[in-house]
Amino acid sequence: MKIKHILVIISIAFGLTEARADRLVIKGSDTLGAKLVPQLAEQFKAQHPGTTFDIAAEGSTTGIAAIIDGTADIGMSSRRAKSSEMSAASSKGKHMKPIIVAYDGLGVIVNASNPIKGLTKKQVEQIFTGEVNDWSAVGGSGGKISIYTRNTSSGTYSDWKELAMKKRDYAGGAQKMAGHEQIAAEVGKNRNGIGYVGLAYMKAGGIKIVPIEGQMPSQQAVIAKTWPYARPTFYYTNGEPAGLAKQFVDFTTGPEGQKIVNRVGFVPIRAMKE
Amino acid sequence: MLLRNAVIGTLTITLLCSAMSSRAQDAGALLDLLVRKQIISDQEAEEVRAELTREAATTSAGKWKMSAPITELEIYGDARMRYEYRAGRTAGDTPTAAPGAGVAGVRDWQERERQRYRFRLGLRGVLLDDWFFGFRLETSTSPRSTNVTFADDSQVNGPYSKDSDRISVGQVYLGYRGFKDLTLTAGRMPQPLITTPMTWDNDINPEGLAQQWKHSFNFSLGGGAAEPSSGGYSKDGKSVAATPVLSEPFNLKLDLFANFAQLIYDDVAIENPLGGRPIANGRTVPQNDAFLLAWQVGARLTFPHNIYIQIAPTLYNYTGNGDSFNNHFIGGDETLTNSASLATNQTGINSLLIYNMPWEIGWKVGELPMRIFGDFAVNLEADDRAAAAGFPEKGDERYAYEVGLAIGQLKAKREWELRVFWQHTEQYSLDPNLVDSDLFDSRINMEGIGVKLGYMLSDAVFAELTYGYGWRADSSLGTGGIGDIGINPLDHYQIFQADLNVKF
Repeated sequence: MKIKHILVIISIAFGLTEARADRLVIKGSDTLGAKLVPQLAEQFKAQHPGTTFDIAAEGSTTGIAAIIDGTADIGMSSRRAKSSEMSAASSKGKHMKPIIVAYDGLGVIVNASNPIKGLTKKQVEQIFTGEVNDWSAVGGSGGKISIYTRNTSSGTYSDWKELAMKKRDYAGGAQKMAGHEQIAAEVGKNRNGIGYVGLAYMKAGGIKIVPIEGQMPSQQAVIAKTWPYARPTFYYTNGEPAGLAKQFVDFTTGPEGQKIVNRVGFVPIRAMKE
Repeated sequence: MLLRNAVIGTLTITLLCSAMSSRAQDAGALLDLLVRKQIISDQEAEEVRAELTREAATTSAGKWKMSAPITELEIYGDARMRYEYRAGRTAGDTPTAAPGAGVAGVRDWQERERQRYRFRLGLRGVLLDDWFFGFRLETSTSPRSTNVTFADDSQVNGPYSKDSDRISVGQVYLGYRGFKDLTLTAGRMPQPLITTPMTWDNDINPEGLAQQWKHSFNFSLGGGAAEPSSGGYSKDGKSVAATPVLSEPFNLKLDLFANFAQLIYDDVAIENPLGGRPIANGRTVPQNDAFLLAWQVGARLTFPHNIYIQIAPTLYNYTGNGDSFNNHFIGGDETLTNSASLATNQTGINSLLIYNMPWEIGWKVGELPMRIFGDFAVNLEADDRAAAAGFPEKGDERYAYEVGLAIGQLKAKREWELRVFWQHTEQYSLDPNLVDSDLFDSRINMEGIGVKLGYMLSDAVFAELTYGYGWRADSSLGTGGIGDIGINPLDHYQIFQADLNVKF
């Protein structure tokens, strides 16, 4: 009787392990997790029947924390891990490995009815830091500027500070959104709104893209490295990826995955190599 | 592939070994260059960057975290151990009487011997967009001293009590350098004016506003040829890269500067009290803040071979009264007993409009720097000040001057400096609350010599010996000011200090 019980327990445990082996937990960046990774996952599932995905896109910080805590197989991040995160990972015996999966370009968006024709990098910095708070100061038709940003757990939030704001703090009244789509939606509703979104989110309704120094954000501008707000995006794994995680990483960085990267609106890593 | 792996491996090891203390991101430019040259891929660069970040995070420097707006941060300070002897003698031409205990006799010496220390720890930083800030913690609460005397507080909590070993905020200021040649500062700041100890004690950190302007002009008067210069001066006052010289030209450098300060001297607690204004000694007590305003313009002309001349004419004006300095200055009285003379007002700032001119001429003999230096001051309202003190006939006691010679310098290990100077200050010439607290015991109406000898034991440690001897300048007046010696008039005075300093 005892032996039978043990066998049952072992078989259940083995069965659970087997089931877990086909399940991939991915957490982190909304930039990657809102559109790109779900589409990659769908294609991957089609080729690997029985595989399931648990994707939570709540910001790069949560993705990196999940790798440190061991609660995800892959952490999505639109920024590099900070030294404090590297240090925390080391103290828990984790080895954060970055894998570039795509490139992105952040663009400034305003309401479609905003008459503004373009901005300089200095004006962008002034607006997002709150130094300039009225559209009339940057060639607009007047009105208090409403700033929409990502929330603080977002890699895009800190990337934007670094790329566009000389690491200065955001204006006090900036409203923090959960994702790029929410930023686009809010700016689309507010004629005095301004925000930033990645290349994959620039086709939302009610907004228009603002040229910076006379240049529009595009995949070509990112590839040519002429776009000032370009950045790599990452998967983070604990050491070299293995098993299903490795298969998914290889799929993402391989030809099929990169085709999806391109289709969604990101810049494939292969394009950057050419 | 072999070459690429070798490059990545070498790069990682080199950066790990050479840049552990700096942020891993510092290597970003190099990695970007290698990627652009297609020597390594983006992915490989990213892995090196992550490795550097990981390693840097484990170093001492990597554990420090600074807020993003800080672009430069400096920790600095100094510590000093001192032995000091100072003594003062009462006046009198007759043989010394046998005084009662605690009562001053004639030609009676009061002596103090102390073992002291000081400690100062500062932090100054540069912020984004040309802002800067600083603060410094200092021992002692005295404005004119950072010294703490060992065991002077034993009576409080027993031997080795810590009651006098307190840390105070010596400096806290912020400023802006966004305008060309101009530095604006607000707060409790390092001295913004060019001064000498004759007028300002070196330990004083004035409070208020300061505006400092400086511009340099370079003139080439022939005698050589040089490569074209790329520009005149650097905004932050740091020297720019030297221009290659083909032959020795006769170049002149002229630095023009102007320093202005609006310093809060004494803040009254309440400008408008309930009811009538308070009355003391039969007169209404003023209820407004006291300010010290300073205007300084000057120049430094530098000739070839490190010869220079510098002058810094300054005008000081006092406005308002405050609530601590609104009584007329008397500064002691020869005709009173010592205790009564000490009890007269020693700190009043009435009738002070002071023209001051510190100056300095420097040159080198071989590699040995030498300079003569001095200071001159005259109180343009000394007549009124003397009259208010009850000595209307002494309005000509309005001048102060200092002249000295310095040989050597204290900058690097084994360097030495000898300074000898003579100083003369008259009773109504200067603000007795600001003059140096060591030489002549914070007093005016004194004259005498000072000698300082210093030696650098290492780049950070130096020893210094100081000796000063002074006499009363006008023997019919007191010696105004509050010092450590309880004598007024202070007829003779001497001080000896032996210091061991560490600066970092």
